Amino acid sequence: MKDMLAKSVDYGRSLGAEYVEVRAQNLFKTLLTTKDGRVEGAKDGIEGGAGVRVLVNGAWGFVSLGKLDSKLVTEAVDEAVRLAKATSLRVKKPVKLADVKAVEDRVMANSRKSPQDVSMEEKIDVALAMDKTIFGYDKRIRSCTISYLDVTGTNYFINSDGTCIEQDKLYVWSRILASARENSIYASAREEIGSTSGYEIFDTETPEKVGTMVAKRVVEQLKAKTPKGGSFPAVIGPNVVGVFMHEAMGHLAEADLTLSGSVLYDKLGKQIASDAVTVYDDGTVEGAFGSFKYDDEGVRTQKTALIEKGTLTGLMHNRETACKLNMEPTGNARAEDFRFEPIIRMRNTYLAAGDSTFEELIEDVDFGYYLKSFRGGQANLDGTFQVGIQEAYEIVKGKLGDAVRSASISGNTLETLHKVDAVGRDFELWSGRCGKGQIAFICDGGPHIRVGEVIIGGGA
Amino acid sequence: MAEPNVSELIDFGKRAVKVAVGRGAEEAEAFLSMNSGTSIDIERGQIVRSIKRMDQGLGVRAVYRKAVGFSYTNTLTDKNIEEAAARAFRAARASRPNKNWLKFPSPKSFGETKDTYDKRIVAVSSDELVETAAVMLGMVEAYDKRVLAVDGGVGTALGHTVVVNSHGVEAYDRGTAVGCSMETIARDGADVTPACFELNAERVYDIDPEAVGTEAARQAVSSLKAKKIESGVFPVIFTQAAFHSLLYYTLINAVKADYVQRERSALKDKIGEKVASDLVTVYDDGLLDGGLLTSKFDGEGVPCQKTLVIDKGVLKNFLYDNYTANKVGAESTGNASRTGLAPYASTPVLEASNFTFKRGNRTPEELVGEVDEGLLVYGVQGAHSSNPESGEFSVVATPVWKIEGGNVAYAVRGVMLTGVVFDVLRNVSALGNNVRKMEQLVAPWIRVENVRAVGRK
Repeated sequence: MKDMLAKSVDYGRSLGAEYVEVRAQNLFKTLLTTKDGRVEGAKDGIEGGAGVRVLVNGAWGFVSLGKLDSKLVTEAVDEAVRLAKATSLRVKKPVKLADVKAVEDRVMANSRKSPQDVSMEEKIDVALAMDKTIFGYDKRIRSCTISYLDVTGTNYFINSDGTCIEQDKLYVWSRILASARENSIYASAREEIGSTSGYEIFDTETPEKVGTMVAKRVVEQLKAKTPKGGSFPAVIGPNVVGVFMHEAMGHLAEADLTLSGSVLYDKLGKQIASDAVTVYDDGTVEGAFGSFKYDDEGVRTQKTALIEKGTLTGLMHNRETACKLNMEPTGNARAEDFRFEPIIRMRNTYLAAGDSTFEELIEDVDFGYYLKSFRGGQANLDGTFQVGIQEAYEIVKGKLGDAVRSASISGNTLETLHKVDAVGRDFELWSGRCGKGQIAFICDGGPHIRVGEVIIGGGA
Repeated sequence: MAEPNVSELIDFGKRAVKVAVGRGAEEAEAFLSMNSGTSIDIERGQIVRSIKRMDQGLGVRAVYRKAVGFSYTNTLTDKNIEEAAARAFRAARASRPNKNWLKFPSPKSFGETKDTYDKRIVAVSSDELVETAAVMLGMVEAYDKRVLAVDGGVGTALGHTVVVNSHGVEAYDRGTAVGCSMETIARDGADVTPACFELNAERVYDIDPEAVGTEAARQAVSSLKAKKIESGVFPVIFTQAAFHSLLYYTLINAVKADYVQRERSALKDKIGEKVASDLVTVYDDGLLDGGLLTSKFDGEGVPCQKTLVIDKGVLKNFLYDNYTANKVGAESTGNASRTGLAPYASTPVLEASNFTFKRGNRTPEELVGEVDEGLLVYGVQGAHSSNPESGEFSVVATPVWKIEGGNVAYAVRGVMLTGVVFDVLRNVSALGNNVRKMEQLVAPWIRVENVRAVGRK
């Protein structure tokens, strides 16, 4: 395999490309879905393919093919060079890449339980046990959908700078959705778990533990009231802090989006948050869903500080944006699979813990909301964000009060970061998937925090 | 783009079905797809990348004692196909029986489709696509210096699909698509607008890159100097992009039979009842001429059709795939979807096709002109956090303009819209005559009364 790819890289250079990289993959996937205790699909699949990326006269050409065959890979190199040449006629500012040291490495997966060694029957049993826990919790629970996915395989990366990496891939992921109904009140809750360590994740995240958590959350909502609209102080739990750090803050600090004019465009070195705020994007967290050793440009991953004590100190880069901004590549270039070119993606993004206890965070709030878990979030380059909240509570005179459903928060990212006035001492990371034209597996999280003011919507 | 050998694809499918049945499967189905696409990407004001993708593969479903197994491969050789069929059978044996499973569909004749394949799209060169991208980018640059073309591009796609099953279904279809899109922002000193977006996607080679570039730039410039507004209840005009986002996670899910059967739809038991304003008539039209989701048959080989969903406000039908239809003795409406970059790697999912709102008679100017104080919403953000069961939503409108005295007055920043999608449908007060295609939605601009907006003033 490596010889074939190395020849393709040399061939690309001989056609005049200033940079050539070839990624090839063999992937094995298992997927299953259960709906209300019924196995809807027990699925597996094998896919292989290659992605060829070349830089010619400062323009990119990328060709992916769902086959691993030396003749076709060579043709793909031809095609990529041709595409790049056609494009280069229009390029005004030629793309250049930051230098990185060439690496040769073989990265093996070291799981205790590889998902490949677990039978389909056992995977089905785990999902059905979770389903049973959820339906057994309360008879008002009406539906439960459980999805499971594992991916294993090998990724080969060779480029014209001399880097050659063979890196195993291993992901285990599950998502649980439950809904409940009582009279005309509908409620739903969701949860995701993910790991790059192995199937042993289910030894700690047992079906009973996860099932009970989801079931409890959805049933709580049935007696919940809708929130008042307006601006209120809020205590935000790690799960919502995570999605806020990812959606509202993280995307703005992806250097491609920063350069595209995100509100962080001219903010490097400037205070953009209260002193209490320190944020990292970290690819080195052992076993976390967003961790890996090398990114899809062959750059070693790292723990990248984005905000330190309120000051924007870093961005997430690939080799192209690092060169453009005269900074170091951070190992954030990721591709979903061989079908996609690598782009800047987050890894495990979190707010660093502080020193307050949960009680200290809520005791000074006269009336506000405790936002515990999210349903989805989105942000715009101008820093406008929205996060849907599936589980929330009122805070009344320093104490947790009634449950609140269908809330959402919105505001401006930088305004909100400035209003973070206390940070908890606890810490949690949550697994998820992020879409940016391609899917990436990520984590986000942090401690509980308190925000002086956030806009609460919802409660039609 | 290369044309495949169709009879070879069908033979691969037949072989997979035969192997699965030979192993002991009671029924089997093979789905094959062969897709390719070329795109030219614009990033931060320049054309910087060209991409070509090619992929193909086969997915097999095998049924054993009412349990369904599935396996796929993207290596189309006899050996890999036979292995995939055998693995699908093994997965079925490992799975659990589903008492509601009846059978795969039987063959039926397909309706006619028009304007879904254009050989000019197959033949277009990457040089020509680069030129098209340059024309679109040129329009943005010429409009106003403060506008940045953040992201966009031009692309073509070609797909071939085969479905074969052990009940005699043997279907082949092909389709093309072409599109151009442009995302812009405008920057004037410290004033940065939210992202604005325009696109034009078609099945035949007839797109207007000039119009897309100009409109994306116009929106961005018009978004400068945004003001904050007080909370209130307003008439709101939704463009197709905004309405699509709002409906995709709410109404469109609520009319799918799987949501209904699993008590995840607020429209359960509402067939024959008034669920929307008299002005609202909706078809799911899988055979729409030139529709972005038009095809002869769905992902299970069932003919696509035109299904009346809402007739003058009255709920008429839900959308079914083969499984949900069999479960209640109904007929599949041909809504089993297998999409994405690798359709062969997925089992069918119940999806709307061209979700088509009947047009009204107002011009866009009249829709705006009749509003004394309201909002014109071009996009909503956060719709995926809507509550799929209840239809409750809480989204940020962006970009959005205030309407005052029948005129679009100024851009507004940071407005949340909250409500229940079924109230939105009941409060539709007018539909435009400017129908266009936006992903699954085919609709004009739609005006809705009494929408709650949470401002930030």
